[in-house]
Order: sequence, then structure tokens, then C-alpha cells
Amino acid sequence: MSEMSREHLLQVVREVYDERDPVPAGLVERMQAAVAAEVAGVGLDLELMLLVEGERAFESVRTAGPETGSTAAYTLRFVLGEVELLVRVAPGDQARIDGWMVPPEPMTVRAVVGDGPARGTVVGESGRFEFTDLPAGLVRLRFEPHDPARPTFATPTFEI
Amino acid sequence: MTATEPEPRADGAPSEVWRRAEAAFDRWLADDPDGLSDLVATMTPVLWQVVRAYGLPADLAEDVVQSTWMALVRRRSAIVDSAAVGGWLTVTARREAWRTAKAVTRDHLSETDEMEVHLPTQRSAESAVVEADGSRRLWEAVDALPERCRRLLRVVAYDHRPDYAALSADLGMPVGSIGPTRGRCLAKLRVALIEAGEV
Repeated sequence: MSEMSREHLLQVVREVYDERDPVPAGLVERMQAAVAAEVAGVGLDLELMLLVEGERAFESVRTAGPETGSTAAYTLRFVLGEVELLVRVAPGDQARIDGWMVPPEPMTVRAVVGDGPARGTVVGESGRFEFTDLPAGLVRLRFEPHDPARPTFATPTFEI
Repeated sequence: MTATEPEPRADGAPSEVWRRAEAAFDRWLADDPDGLSDLVATMTPVLWQVVRAYGLPADLAEDVVQSTWMALVRRRSAIVDSAAVGGWLTVTARREAWRTAKAVTRDHLSETDEMEVHLPTQRSAESAVVEADGSRRLWEAVDALPERCRRLLRVVAYDHRPDYAALSADLGMPVGSIGPTRGRCLAKLRVALIEAGEV
């Protein structure tokens, strides 16, 4: 049985069920409302980390970077309550970010790059994480603790 | 490929649905609330089909679909790679559907099955005769399959590269038998369609 005919048969199966047992009227809208209520209920508003160190490096890279083609690595430090985050950025077209979270906590961290696809990884037991081959541009790091009781938080946007 | 075999519709093919789900999830992560709405709109019809494959009545099926969405909101950190969002949703829905189907009585489920068998005839009477005839032949070909074939094919038809280990747990089938069973079920459907003059 060729791949094509298998795809065709599965398409027939989809056509049959889409027609005879379609998604009920209003189900999509009910689910959108339920999800919106859940998001409001658990308070998914991002808590924003504060940049406490590296602003100067951040500014100089932003102004001097494109002209000089500077790829000097720099360090940023963010805090939110008891949580402290150190980020070392190696800028460039294949930028690299090394992060260190104190205290360490199981969480998913995502590099959200402009309108492009987000990249995800998990913060290790040591509190360390890394992203490689990031495109140059604006990025923000978003942290989702695996403990659902803990809120999601994020850094402000910075340039790499 | 024969001349009568159309290209699969791109918008309904799981690969395309999964791609749209990934893009919507990424937009939600980038703080666009419409991203989540679009993800729900994209994946709810798929989740409906997957859950109904377990023979659940409409109200229970809707509960399972809703609890799947609640799980996404609460446990989104479990989806590290955005491309995995479609698969994560269908696995979560199948697991919950399987649990729910085991919990409800057998009587309840067999009533639902019987109702579904009568559905095509009622529907076709309401539709245009020629079109209904084609649809009815397709329906009959699918209906003629053994129950486990119908469930397996309905689940895999809406899934993009389903994971056999997860399928095995959610369908109550040994992992090694899923590939061969799927092959046999597709072969049976093909024969039924040929006999019905549809292929």
C-alpha cells in the first residue's frame, strides 16, 4: 500500500466523521470562553523581572552593535522577589544565551524571539540553561515553573 | 496514484493542522491572547473526533475536550517544544477519554453505538439524493469495519505522526500490534471502498 493511498484512505475516514459527527455548533466558542475564564482565574499575567545590572552594556550594544559589528559578550542580571537570574549573552547572528537561575527550580524557559517561533528548554537542577543559534534581534525569556501554583514570569525584552 | 484519487485537502491534513496549532501556541507565548483563541479553534474539532472515537456520548465528550483545554492552561510548561502542542493535546484527550469510557457503564456506550449506526440513513434522507448516496457508501464502508478498526482509524486519521507507545496505552492494544492492525484496517477499508465503487 503506497503512502499516497494510505493518506487518501485516512482522508476518507476524516471526511466521513467530519460529515456524520461534526464538532457540535458552538463547541469551539464554549471552549474559547472556558479557556479565557481559566486564564483569568489562574492569573496568567506575566510577572516582570527587573533588570538590575548590565543596563550600560545593554545600551552600548544597542547603539554600537550594528555599526561596529561588535560581538562582545555581556552579562545581565534580573531579579524578581527572591529569584535572581544571571544571563550571559554572546550576540551575533547565531547568538548564544547562558542563564543561571537562583534558587534553582524545575521550570520551562522559553526564548521568545520577536514574531518568530519560541524556543523552549528546561532549567536544570543546577539552575542553568542555555540557548544556542538564536537569531539576532529582540528576545525575552519566559519562565514557567512546573509547580502550577507558581506564576509565570519573564524578563523585559533585550537585544542579542 | 490513480486519476480518481484527489490530493488530500491541505487544510484538513494533520500536518497542516499541527503547523497552525504550533504557530498559534507561539503567538500565545508571545503575549497575544488571540493566539490561545486560535489554538482552541484549530484543535477543538480534532479533539472532538479523537474523544468521540471512544464512543462517549456528546455531553461526556464535551467534558473531556474541556478538561483537555484546562490541562493545557495549567500545565503548558509541559510543552517545551511548541511543535509538540498538537500531539500533547491529542494524547491528553485520548488519555482522559479512555479513563472516562472505562468509568461509564457498558449499557450507556452500547446505546451510543447503536444510535450512530442509524445516523447515516436518517441524514441521507434529508440530503440531496446523489450526494447522499456517495456519502452513504463511504459511511457504510467505514461502518462495515470491526469496532476496533473504526476507533483506531478515527484516532490516527486526525493525528500527525501518532506515538505508538502512547496509542497502545490509550487504546488498550499491545504496542507491537498497532502498526499491523492499522495496516489490516486500512486494507479492509480499501477493499470496502473498491466494492462500493468509491476507489
